[in-house]
Amino acid sequence: MTSHTSQPSHTSQSSHHNPKPPAARARALTKTYGTGPTAVDALAGVDLDVAAGRFTAIMGPSGSGKSTLMHCLAGLDTPSSGSVTVAGVELSSLGDTGLTRFRRDHIGFVFQSFNLLPMLTARQNIALPAELAGRRTDSDWFGTVVDVLGIGDRLEHRPSELSGGQQQRVAVARGLVARPTILFADEPTGNLDSHSSAEVLGFLRRSVRDLGQTVVMVTHDADAAAYADHTVVIEDGRVATERQVA
Amino acid sequence: MRTVLLASVRVHTRRYVAAVVAVVVGVGFIVATGGLAAAARAGLLDDLRAEYTGVDVVVQGAYREREVDRVRSAVHDLGGTAVVNAEWRGPVALDGRVLSDEADAGTVALDPELRWQQLAAGTYPTGPGQALVDAHAAEQFGVRIGDRLRVGRGPDAVQVRVTGSTETSSGPLGSPLYLTYPDLRRAGEVVVVDNVAIDCDDCAGTPVDALREVLPERYLVQPATAYLQMMQTEATQGVDVISLVLLVFAAIAFFVSALVIANTFSILLAQRARDFALLRCVGATRRQVLRSVRTEALVVGVGSASLGVAAGVGLGHGLAAVAGLVWPGLPLGAVSFPLAWVGGGWLTGLLVTVGAGLLPARRATRVSPLAALRPADVGGVRTRTGWVRLAGGAVLLLIGGALLVLAMSSHQLAVMLAGGMVSYLGVLAWGPLLFPALVRLVGQVVRRLGVPGALATGNALRNPRRTAATAGSLLVGVTLVSGLLVGVATARGTVTTAMNEEYPVDAALTAPVTPGSNASLSAGTVREVRATDGVAQAQALPGTTLALRLPAAGKGVGAGTGAGTGAGPMLSGRQPVLGVEPATLRRLVHGRPDFVRPRADTLFLPWEVMAGYGLDIGAEVVLGRGPDARTLTVAGAEGFGNTGLVARDTLRALTAGAGVSTRAVWVRAAAGADAADLRGALSTVAAGAGAELSGGLENRAFVDLQLDVLTGATLALLAIGVVIALIGIGNTLGLSVLERGREHALLRALGLTRRQLRVTLAAESALLAVVAGLLGVALGTGYAWIGVRTMMVDVIEDTQLVLPGGQLLAVVGAAAVAGLLACILPARKAARVTPAQGLTAE
Repeated sequence: MTSHTSQPSHTSQSSHHNPKPPAARARALTKTYGTGPTAVDALAGVDLDVAAGRFTAIMGPSGSGKSTLMHCLAGLDTPSSGSVTVAGVELSSLGDTGLTRFRRDHIGFVFQSFNLLPMLTARQNIALPAELAGRRTDSDWFGTVVDVLGIGDRLEHRPSELSGGQQQRVAVARGLVARPTILFADEPTGNLDSHSSAEVLGFLRRSVRDLGQTVVMVTHDADAAAYADHTVVIEDGRVATERQVA
Repeated sequence: MRTVLLASVRVHTRRYVAAVVAVVVGVGFIVATGGLAAAARAGLLDDLRAEYTGVDVVVQGAYREREVDRVRSAVHDLGGTAVVNAEWRGPVALDGRVLSDEADAGTVALDPELRWQQLAAGTYPTGPGQALVDAHAAEQFGVRIGDRLRVGRGPDAVQVRVTGSTETSSGPLGSPLYLTYPDLRRAGEVVVVDNVAIDCDDCAGTPVDALREVLPERYLVQPATAYLQMMQTEATQGVDVISLVLLVFAAIAFFVSALVIANTFSILLAQRARDFALLRCVGATRRQVLRSVRTEALVVGVGSASLGVAAGVGLGHGLAAVAGLVWPGLPLGAVSFPLAWVGGGWLTGLLVTVGAGLLPARRATRVSPLAALRPADVGGVRTRTGWVRLAGGAVLLLIGGALLVLAMSSHQLAVMLAGGMVSYLGVLAWGPLLFPALVRLVGQVVRRLGVPGALATGNALRNPRRTAATAGSLLVGVTLVSGLLVGVATARGTVTTAMNEEYPVDAALTAPVTPGSNASLSAGTVREVRATDGVAQAQALPGTTLALRLPAAGKGVGAGTGAGTGAGPMLSGRQPVLGVEPATLRRLVHGRPDFVRPRADTLFLPWEVMAGYGLDIGAEVVLGRGPDARTLTVAGAEGFGNTGLVARDTLRALTAGAGVSTRAVWVRAAAGADAADLRGALSTVAAGAGAELSGGLENRAFVDLQLDVLTGATLALLAIGVVIALIGIGNTLGLSVLERGREHALLRALGLTRRQLRVTLAAESALLAVVAGLLGVALGTGYAWIGVRTMMVDVIEDTQLVLPGGQLLAVVGAAAVAGLLACILPARKAARVTPAQGLTAE
């Protein structure tokens, strides 16, 4: 995992024992909201590689641009300039429908709140991405994920019948079942008590260690970031520091 | 609280659009109806007054010619002039072409003072033998100034020359044709004297008193002003009845509006539950919150009711202008808006809005202050159907059902209407259980659309009360429409059966029977009939005239029984008879009358002829003379002229082939042929051949037209309620879209394409509409059955319920299409949200 504050550099990329190419790569990424004097630069030139098979945390205070960065990396938002490549696909070349298909195939999400569709059961929520993509859910894999997350007995419940921690675990399961190239987690513990937070973060880390999933988590909570392999700090729309956890 | 109130009205104005539109449509309808009714009344009264401009005294009560003459001579003695206002009805022909068999004619005065007709072209008649035509009637029938018209039948007919055309009058004396009174009397047929209008400017003393003195007491002598007052009251009552009928549809529209508004308030206020909780947190009492919400409803009500009045005024003027252009003869005067209608409409709109907002306001403001502090309640608010509601619904259903049963046994319309309404409210109360069940059922089909279908079904099921309210508003219209369609189809079926019996033959040209002659129709006449436009099939029938007598006495029937009715051929006991063969007539006659295939020993006689002979069904008569004579049993039939019918073999046996010739041509009209045109053309042929024309073509067409007009007008009026309901569906969907913004963003993030999102909403909308359509068709059919049991079985036995399957299917299809239309705007709005926006926006 490497960040580049000014110029792209490829020297540090080999510093870690990771022979795989990065799962996502951002170059000279900018995002400006508004125009003229009222324009706000949410991202002011970000270069970033997301290492495959690792747990990366993007940190920063409110308004630093970390959520915008995640949205651009995940193909939820289009950058003003610069490029984003995920799984070898240049996202700026895709239209809205193309981006949607791309998200189906390559991206998983866990959000802070409102993660699940209230009218679907936990099982339907988990299977939704695969259904949208017209794929069959791998039942072995489904079983494994559900076991790891310990939600096997809650599958037929609707979200309103689950606790916050359980809902978030269902959301993690949904993110994992489709085996996305990258699983993005946006403040996944923001609404949880410390016990449930620890549980969910533990699951995210296990999914990286045991299942080989690439995970990017956006958080402002240093304790949550401590679960990650890498931490990238964003300030004022730029990468301020990066830190590797041994 | 005022700042909060103003701010919330400002912020949420757009969300109230549907409620506002619903009220505007209802109020506008009432106001426009009032305006048009006023215009119609003004038009009628203007014309009425114009017809009596120069009249001083009106005398009613003189009907017979002698009585009328007596009034006239009395007027003459006083030094005044009089015109007899009378109506005549009978056949009018131009150049041997019968324009109408039942044309109306009125009278025109020769005295310019009493002559009220406004000349459009030509000159006024100066004496008998001259006539005026109404300009529109002249155009319709192709009558020009200078044409000679034959007014009346046979030798009584009067020949008149058209000297001019007149503007149309919608007053009681308005008529397509005006003759002088003497001509009208001479034309025979039925003359109804309305009154004698008198110009008495030069009379001595007070003419009213003078006339009362001379004339018998039973004559009503009034000054023209008093007479007009009386007539105005009558004319106004007619208009008022029509406007009251229209108010029934306004009531339906308002009922639907109330459902839509209540639903809008429910959704809007539920969405703002957190705002209310926050207000409670910062110190507002529950009453303050409630009052603020109610005032908001009041503001919406006042605003939309006022808009509705403006819309109604515009619509009234617009419709009157359009109607004046399309139907220039329409009696529309100046459009004015009576205060009662405008005020009533405005107040109704206001009350419906405020009233519909009451319950939702109470429910929404019951929120506890703590709710504001809890994390956002995410989406899946499931309302549970209250037991109170279900129990109330059950009670309504029971009462309504009992009333309906009572109505069917007692045949009382009012009881049926009450039962219908009460039971309908019961159905609506059970809606939150009924609709989701149906949605689940229909959803099985929708699920085939894949994820969007499943999502749509899930969405439609997540809030049963909202689903019920939304679909329920459409249900009102669909139920009434399908009830109407089933009712009309049933009525049409029943009427058709009756018509088939009464008028089995569209038209029959029958050779006249004059004693001693054996007139027949020539091959040329038959060819001419066949070649007439609008004739699908024409069949020549062989026949002859045979002696008819009772078996016992050796004499003719008429002489034997001494029946005084009828004249000429009937009493002579010489009866024209046609020989019929099933093969040639099966597709010519309507229905399956028995007379098409008579048994060898049966004689079918028209009822009138039978009565003329003093015969009953089953009587035995001897037909024919000498060795060929046969004893036949009499059966009744009608609709083909005054001939008897026997089987063709019987005819052959009776006559041994001698004296048989073509005595009648029966005609089947082509589908869609203009009845009046065909009748006119055939009567021309008949007149040329000296044949008599009979048949039920015009009556059949008239009944069909009446049913069509009734159906069309009622459907158009019910459409108002349906449109309001559709706005309601679009609105519910639009508001749901606002609520589900984050959800849609999440779906989009997870890989739902824009198209799929639109399909999801479209499927939800169509699902609601189809469910309402299916339930509405079922309910409508049920109510129609009850209606038929209540109203028609009494009149006509064995009424069979006729289900117009195609039409009912079209209703469900139209509901689905309408549902799709209703979702266009909300779906576009929903699809516009980008995933990132939706997920970050709080």
